[in-house]
Amino acid sequence: MSDLNKELGTYTKNLNKASQDTNINNAMNRAVKSYRENVASALERYPHTPELAEEVRKIKEYSIEHNEELLAQAMEVIEKNRGKAFYAKDKEEAFQILHDLIGTGKTIVKGKSMLGEELQLRHILENAGNEVWETDLGEFILQLKDDRPMHILSPAIHVPREQVAEIFSEFFKKTVPPDITKEVEVVREFLREKYFQADVGISGANVVAADTGQVVIIENEGNVRLCTGAPPVHIVLVGIEKLVPTFLDSMKVAEVTWRYANYTAPSYVNVISGPSKTGDIEKVTTYGAHGPKELYVIFVDNGRSEMMQEEDFKQASHCLRCGGCMYECPVFQITAGHYGRTYLSGIGSVWTTFVDGGLDMAAPMLYTCLRCGRCVERCPMKIDVPSMIGKLRSMVVSD
Amino acid sequence: MPAKKKIPPVLEILRDNIVKHGNPLALKPRETSAWAKNLELPVKGDILFYTGSEYQLLPFIDSLVKTLKIVDPSSTIFSWLMEARKIVNMTGINAEKIYASILAKDKERYYSINYKAVHVLRKLGYDLCYDRQGELYSGALLYELGFWKDLDDYAQRVADSIRKTEAKTVVCISPHAAEMFRKVYPQIVDFPDVQVKTFIEMVWEKRHLLPKIPCDSLVVIHDSCRLARELDVSQEIRDILDEIGVKYVEPFRSKEWTTCCGGPSKMLFPDISKIVAGRRVIELSDTGAEKALISCPYCLSALQSEIDKGNGVILEDIIEFLYRGLEAQCQI
Repeated sequence: MSDLNKELGTYTKNLNKASQDTNINNAMNRAVKSYRENVASALERYPHTPELAEEVRKIKEYSIEHNEELLAQAMEVIEKNRGKAFYAKDKEEAFQILHDLIGTGKTIVKGKSMLGEELQLRHILENAGNEVWETDLGEFILQLKDDRPMHILSPAIHVPREQVAEIFSEFFKKTVPPDITKEVEVVREFLREKYFQADVGISGANVVAADTGQVVIIENEGNVRLCTGAPPVHIVLVGIEKLVPTFLDSMKVAEVTWRYANYTAPSYVNVISGPSKTGDIEKVTTYGAHGPKELYVIFVDNGRSEMMQEEDFKQASHCLRCGGCMYECPVFQITAGHYGRTYLSGIGSVWTTFVDGGLDMAAPMLYTCLRCGRCVERCPMKIDVPSMIGKLRSMVVSD
Repeated sequence: MPAKKKIPPVLEILRDNIVKHGNPLALKPRETSAWAKNLELPVKGDILFYTGSEYQLLPFIDSLVKTLKIVDPSSTIFSWLMEARKIVNMTGINAEKIYASILAKDKERYYSINYKAVHVLRKLGYDLCYDRQGELYSGALLYELGFWKDLDDYAQRVADSIRKTEAKTVVCISPHAAEMFRKVYPQIVDFPDVQVKTFIEMVWEKRHLLPKIPCDSLVVIHDSCRLARELDVSQEIRDILDEIGVKYVEPFRSKEWTTCCGGPSKMLFPDISKIVAGRRVIELSDTGAEKALISCPYCLSALQSEIDKGNGVILEDIIEFLYRGLEAQCQI
């Protein structure tokens, strides 16, 4: 019998500590304000978005119901596109595939990915004897700080510029002032050469089109373009719930995702179908022109198919990871990622149950939720988190 | 899926009390119905006034929460304290009530809200009944905390108790009870074929009978999550205020975007609950209004504790507000 009482004791102390943390308070207050203003402005400029979100919800419903066939179709098309596709039932299978592809002693540049966090990818690859660099600025800060993400899109949301300056000064062994422009510059200089030294680039994906096998990755920094374009090998790790039937569907999903992630338009939308190729000399297709010669797409299940099959919880797999719900959550607003593990806040507790530790690990999070329902108002997919939380609580206390 | 978990004593106690005694703190009917003793409300009738003992419980819950803040609910000391419950079984004394009531404040205020609600509804011409002895707590906490197996049986008891009153309409002064009766119970038991209405909806339907209430001060509306989002009742409050000529402002977050009062996490995360409440109080006081109107007992209780710190806005349940308006028709 596990002891929720004890788990709550430690967890509550952490939550309370986070709620008193000035850095978290300041950062979250600014972030919530900016998020709300940006989304309001983005929705005003693109008023078709809520209607598009409704369409995307139907796409996701269909895709979850037909996930197996979409997976088979996507894997087949990726192979036709001269990529290689894998299916990993669980973490262990994903690790084995990665190990077979990467081996040891490699330099790896990595883009931000929630699935990567779920698999604790960087640690796994480092433990296998590889040098791994997080290239998303926030993730890079956390890598140096040996910390974990406090928001799914803004992982270092809790670290103010002054603290970043201290971390960078220590790492780069020179004084980096608490000036955000300077902080960005020093990382840019450092990582630039890593992209071109790297043997492997790893990314996640926001959505995958089954009919064309195209992987869509939304970003702003440009690090994903470099991660996925400079090294000779590109590996995509993506959850099976990200599959949709067509390329057009994938673009609709992408637009709704970035709009609710507080962007009118992101700086970059990467669409990757296969390895780099050229036919410029005698029309002979040759692979590995400027970009990667090899493309591998690993579709990871790790509990997702169980979630997609459960009538009460399948809607959780509609989540676009826009992060909007978290900005509206009264508890997340004061505790940031301390309300969660890999996946955060209310929706995160459902995901934790299925893919990141099970109900035991999710239980303290489940009871943190106020079930106030404001996340549902914000969610473009209208995911009814409170109802799922209620059901999971009943499982926690049931005999 | 999971094996059984050992859960915090405070949750076990709430569950046991609801199941065994008909309310979360095992208060006796003579206590929970004391507010109605001079009202001569019949037990049966067309319109059942349902309190669910929710306003009556508030001062005791507040005191319990203060105890929880002093004694870590996950600690051995708390478990030991809760062992005092064994005394109850032997002597008939209620331990929770003992330590809770020692600290109980505001009892008079919260009890009187029931009385005031009846007064307002009667003024509007509603003929109410109230089951002083038989009324049970709605069971909302069983639902919230996940005790759904217990809820199956408990819901039947609640349904039976309502059926006995022969009511055609049930008016709930707590949105939590209204949500249970309107949305949850019909899915799990043979719930009586009654119309379930909130106090706000009952007043709204006859708002044209309300007198104009002169009120110079500006009020701000705090929408309850349950009322605004689950029951879709928010415009009705504005309509009522428009009808009686009271000027109101909206806080930064209102209606379906309203901010939670923090009340739901009071028992397990009292510190977090207080911060959430405090932030909502700031949203309300930032409007410059002198008075904030509340329409849920748990919101009233959760926000009141932060108001008491002197945040420059007075908190009033809309029931209290309307009652005073009807009584005085001024000095609001």
